[in-house]
Amino acid sequence: MSDMEEDTLPLGQSSDPLQFDDDEEEVEQRHGSDKKKGKQPRRRDEEDEDEEDDEEEDDEDEEDDEDEGTSRGRKRQKRRHKRSAVNRFLDVEAEVNEDEEEEEEDEEYGRDEFIAEPGGEGEDEETSRRTVHHARLDRRERELNDQDLARIAQDVSQRYKRTAVRYTGDMNEMPQRLLMPSVNDANLWQVRCKPGRERDIVFSLMRKAIDLEYSNHPLSILSAFQRDSLAGMIYVEARSQKQVAEACNGLVGVYPGRGINLVPIEEMASLLLIKKQDLTVTPGSWVRIKRGKYQGDLAQVMDITENGEEVGLKFIPRIDLNPKDEVAPDGKKRKKTGLVASMGARPPQRFFNHEEVVKVYGRKTVTKRAQSYVFQNDTYKDGFIEKDYKVNALVLENVNPTLDEITRFSKGQDGADSEMNVDLSIIAEASRKAAIAVLQPGDHVEVFEGEQSGVHGVVDSISQDIVTVTPVGVDLEGQKVQVPARSVRKRFKAGDHVKVMAGKNADETGLVVAVAGNVVTFLSDMSMQEVSVFSKDLREAAEVGAGTNTVGNYELHDLVQLDHQTVGVIFKTERDSFRVLDQNGQTRLVQPHQISMRRDSNRAIATDAEGHELRVGDNVKENDGEGRKGRVLHVQGSFFAFLHNREIAENGGVFVTRARSLVSLAPKGSLLKPGSDLSKMNPALSGGAMPGGMAGSGGMGRGPRDRLIGVAVSVIKGPHKGYFGTIKDTNGPIARVELQTGNKVITIDKEKLHRRNPDGSHEPLEARGMGPPRNGGYGGGGQMRPPPVPSSWGSSGGSTNNPYADNSGKTPSWNSSRTPNPYADGGRTPSWNSRQTPAWDAASRTPNPYANTGGFGGATPAPNSSWGGATPKTGGWGGATPRATGWGGATPKPPAASTSWGGATPGRSNDWGASSPQSWESSADWVGFLFDLFTLSGSYLELHRHQHRRHSARLRQDSVHLHRCLHPPPRLDTAQPPRGHLLGCPWALTCSLRHPRPSLQCSTTRTASPVRALSI
Amino acid sequence: MFFIKELTHTILLHPSYFGPRMLQFLESKLYSDVEGTCSGQFGYIIAVVSISDIGKGMVLSGSGQAEFVTRYRAIVFKPFKGEVVDGVVSNVTRMGFFADVGPLTVFVSHQLIHPDLKFDHASNPPSFTSADQVIEKNTKVRLKIVGTRVDATEIFAIGTIKEDHLGVIE
Repeated sequence: MSDMEEDTLPLGQSSDPLQFDDDEEEVEQRHGSDKKKGKQPRRRDEEDEDEEDDEEEDDEDEEDDEDEGTSRGRKRQKRRHKRSAVNRFLDVEAEVNEDEEEEEEDEEYGRDEFIAEPGGEGEDEETSRRTVHHARLDRRERELNDQDLARIAQDVSQRYKRTAVRYTGDMNEMPQRLLMPSVNDANLWQVRCKPGRERDIVFSLMRKAIDLEYSNHPLSILSAFQRDSLAGMIYVEARSQKQVAEACNGLVGVYPGRGINLVPIEEMASLLLIKKQDLTVTPGSWVRIKRGKYQGDLAQVMDITENGEEVGLKFIPRIDLNPKDEVAPDGKKRKKTGLVASMGARPPQRFFNHEEVVKVYGRKTVTKRAQSYVFQNDTYKDGFIEKDYKVNALVLENVNPTLDEITRFSKGQDGADSEMNVDLSIIAEASRKAAIAVLQPGDHVEVFEGEQSGVHGVVDSISQDIVTVTPVGVDLEGQKVQVPARSVRKRFKAGDHVKVMAGKNADETGLVVAVAGNVVTFLSDMSMQEVSVFSKDLREAAEVGAGTNTVGNYELHDLVQLDHQTVGVIFKTERDSFRVLDQNGQTRLVQPHQISMRRDSNRAIATDAEGHELRVGDNVKENDGEGRKGRVLHVQGSFFAFLHNREIAENGGVFVTRARSLVSLAPKGSLLKPGSDLSKMNPALSGGAMPGGMAGSGGMGRGPRDRLIGVAVSVIKGPHKGYFGTIKDTNGPIARVELQTGNKVITIDKEKLHRRNPDGSHEPLEARGMGPPRNGGYGGGGQMRPPPVPSSWGSSGGSTNNPYADNSGKTPSWNSSRTPNPYADGGRTPSWNSRQTPAWDAASRTPNPYANTGGFGGATPAPNSSWGGATPKTGGWGGATPRATGWGGATPKPPAASTSWGGATPGRSNDWGASSPQSWESSADWVGFLFDLFTLSGSYLELHRHQHRRHSARLRQDSVHLHRCLHPPPRLDTAQPPRGHLLGCPWALTCSLRHPRPSLQCSTTRTASPVRALSI
Repeated sequence: MFFIKELTHTILLHPSYFGPRMLQFLESKLYSDVEGTCSGQFGYIIAVVSISDIGKGMVLSGSGQAEFVTRYRAIVFKPFKGEVVDGVVSNVTRMGFFADVGPLTVFVSHQLIHPDLKFDHASNPPSFTSADQVIEKNTKVRLKIVGTRVDATEIFAIGTIKEDHLGVIE
């Protein structure tokens, strides 16, 4: 049966009148058409069969009610007869063939006969009829079965709907859209009015309309209304703007002058739409207060007024127990000050304590009524304040009471029952909605209520509120259980590594130590503190929390400036605040905005108890007090050190101590057996801050000072001419000189200064090079004056590029201060190498005085005379170089040539020459090695410290000269030194190059010291 | 649990070491590099038992350093959940105590300590005490590891003594 029929059927039937006054023709026609129309008859038949009784009754009614011709009755009878007699098969045949009534009848009969014949041949008529009946019954049943239930239901409903429609007036069911305003309806006008008076104005409009209703000029507006949500405007329905203006005329508070605006038709309906407000306020539920002194505070609903506009709340009061004006005599003033105070920093939440309040505010202010107190017009009961609030002054949604708040609430006034007998069900209930949202497939959950209570498993899928769980257990293994999301909770067990997803502790991670209901306690990875959170806020996590350490721009363990005097270290980060331990050992809670800046203490250097350098990251121990150990987090002002030790529980393991009371825990490099730790000797592996450097390097400065600093000078030009002073600072060509007289610091060109020697003689600043004689010698402690420069040196060499060449010749040409003397180089270098290069020790076991000189400490034991004396290798310097690949090997001159040098040098003491081979050897090693490095990777050594940059120009040249020395055929052009080499110019190298100039020797100690400050 | 595990370690050697004592240096460097370290995957490397192959040095172009891939056998200690271990209490706080199990630090929360053992506020050094037992610093305890947190360079565990046969051992 197609739908078409269903559609047509009701139509046919709904035209009931036809049925009622069916005259013969129509009935017949219908039947006729039924039969003609192929499908419809059968439908008709069904109809008939379904409603056989009805039909028959109908028919009988018809027969009874209507007095019709017998012919009709006959025909009807006939039809009946036909239907009863006709068997099914015949009926089908008839549909096809029968066209006319007469024919039909005849044929029907004929067929009847015909059909009946076969049956009738063997049996009597009675049997045949029974067979027909049976067949018909079968057919009916079959057809009934054929119909699907839905179809039946539809039929039934259609039938009764039809009757319903028949008997009820359908005018009530006007579609909504037809009621919407159209252009033909009156318009809605928006009129401005005084905010707050909208309702009054609408009422006055109504009164005015009633007043004038029967007057000569009745108001022609149709309606007026206002919306609470739209302050300052009313709406008037009228045909024209003029009518609105008339109506508003004379009313106070209406401003038609500010425009009577037409509301667009499509907006009219929405203006009148009433949003369904479902107030979820029920006694016992939690709300937050929107405004006022208690803004944001959690409150519990106690009761609600009938109209639902006011809510009785109970919450923890904030009574100022330290009002500013405590001594004010009259209560009035006291009250006032109390109010003022409340406006500023609001007092903390405290339970109402009668005694305390009476003590502060006086006995009169508090009255007692039954169980409660009345104080400043508020009622206090059991420590809580009980107050009525308007609903719109409350936050009803997303209240999310925290565990802390609830705990406080439930503790009550005494705070006595700390047993955590919190009725968690309250929060649990509130947080259930959220709990559904946080479930994810893969979460381990347990069912805690309902039929499946106790089952736990893994969430398989979530659809709406139904969670499909694959239980992990014995009996239900392998099946899937569907449970409502609200009755499952996440399941954790001790030892799980979890991460907090929401709340104050968000992003904290830790290991679960205990689970009680839906509260999980875990040990935070960061703070080693125990934290309790709802299981709904947790997830299992693999990673260690990182995010929790950063709030704003600041991070855990940052050194931050709190105010001018105070710095502190962040030892705990909370959701939007920090806990900071300041230099005085005080802890405070600060917001990010209270921090003025983050401090960088990477460069700060303090000295520890032994005078060694204390750097960030060092492991140290207190040598007094508690003897705490820790790692240096920060150094502040070279006096305080912030240390961190995980094992200390308080302040997250951070504590502050004086740098002077710390001892390094790191092994001292100097204590190691020489040669045992190769990494110490390897320049590439030892970083800038060599741990070994801590010992024995106490006296070292931070960086290279300009060697002019501290030099006594006299001004030779300008207004200060003739003044004596000391150079305090230099900057390029300018020096700052502190004058001896007048205690004044002037900035002056270096040109205008002359060095003032102790003996009172003057000489130009730069003429002496950079080595003022005041330091005296190689080692600071050596007190050795540099050998005076033979005058012949300077003059002899001319512009020799290669000092070797000259050395081999007659006179070593110490021509210009630019040419480094490899000798001096050698002399200088070992002091450096002695610490760094194993080759020294390995190559010759000679105790080199320079090794101890160190150029660093200044504790040179070796006087000048011992230079050569200690050195066994007095042969030619070149020859003594066993493995100076880069140097000796590259030297074109035979070593023998150099022997002559030592001898040939006038003014050179033997020991000098004799000592040099030794130095040569090591320095050659060293320099050669460096040179190798250069060629390997020119850019791999780099100057890191800024203060060195200033010197780089000079360094470059020196380094270039070095290369000259190494490779007699000059490969590098002084004018245009290749960049790669320049970058790779380490300070140490420069030292050794500077050194050769005898005039500079005295300054080498200082020059050498910055080596340690270099990161190579 | 202890295992003997074959591991590899890559040593970068500066050219200045190339020489007769190189192998010796490599060995000492291997010991100093790996012993006492902790990898999340294998746990703590307690000791190098033997060096199976010191590796062939491959000079890296550009830096001149040589790379040795060293294979060695080492005793490693990796804690597992559920493992029962003995440790020495190193620190006692109100929240529980920390115990050292060799290189591993295990925290035993007060929640996982039998309720009979209560934190004694008055005691010095701090301790958990019951009628017959005292847990303070340097007490030997037997505990069961209930959870581990494995970082790249550190393993941390929490343990329990709230079960039979766990707790103070004499």
